[in-house]
Amino acid sequence: MSDLKNILSNSNIIDEQLFQKYLAGTASAEERFFVENQMAEDDIVNEAIEGLQNFKDPQLAQTYVAQLNSQLQKQIGKRKKRQFNKLIKEQSWTIIAIIVVLTISAIAYFTIQLLHHSPR
Amino acid sequence: MLEKYKLDQDSQWIGILLQRYTLLLLGVCMKYLKNEEAAKDAVQQVFLKAIIALPKTNVEFLKSWLYSIARNHCLMQLRDKTKWVTISTEADIQDNSFFEPFDTNKEQTILILEKALLDLNPPQETCVKLFYLEKKSYQEIVAATGFSLLQVKSYIQNGKRNLKTLVIQKLQQL
Repeated sequence: MSDLKNILSNSNIIDEQLFQKYLAGTASAEERFFVENQMAEDDIVNEAIEGLQNFKDPQLAQTYVAQLNSQLQKQIGKRKKRQFNKLIKEQSWTIIAIIVVLTISAIAYFTIQLLHHSPR
Repeated sequence: MLEKYKLDQDSQWIGILLQRYTLLLLGVCMKYLKNEEAAKDAVQQVFLKAIIALPKTNVEFLKSWLYSIARNHCLMQLRDKTKWVTISTEADIQDNSFFEPFDTNKEQTILILEKALLDLNPPQETCVKLFYLEKKSYQEIVAATGFSLLQVKSYIQNGKRNLKTLVIQKLQQL
């Protein structure tokens, strides 16, 4: 009975490590069934696994994934920097105004203090 | 993760999200391009497109969306080489992972499923039974039945799809 449920069940988890083990041929029977079940129910996973099986060396796919993730982080970092620069550029007058107000306030405060404490 | 991005606009979330699909996209690009370096470059391009498009797009199913970008990118590359591959703008591939219109725990559903199995054509029935009930691997089914690997995959996929349709039909008739 419980095995029949597998036919109707859907799993949307993408477990890279499990895929790697499957591709390397080191997955246990249970893990292999999990991956092949995903392949049976999801054409995208099926295509991906078929594509990955075309790699002459499964280790190379892993190396590429690490490189791509590192490049992705760099891209994201650049984008964040650009967003920050854009924000600074857009808000430059606001920032200048705040600095000017703060400077005037500080000068006024110290002038008052100076006048207050100076001998008459 | 997408919700988090929408809330604080921190592109770090997009990075974390996309990383989950790197291997999947590499596999898909490799499947189309049949070249390891080209597949890697294609994934990089897909990421670039996704980083730009994601903030402006209301994406409901990220995996299918990324798949469409990857496939179209690969097909464009192939078209540039061969000049005759047709490109579709929408993914006609079915992502079944969001489709579960019935309660699989209901005993009634399981009973209907048991009967529906017998309505499949013999190769589909054999492959579905060997895979789901006897937990045989694709390779073991190939060895046991004499079908090719492609046939086994197809019988299981189509068998499963047909079973779902049959179960839905029978549940609606009740």
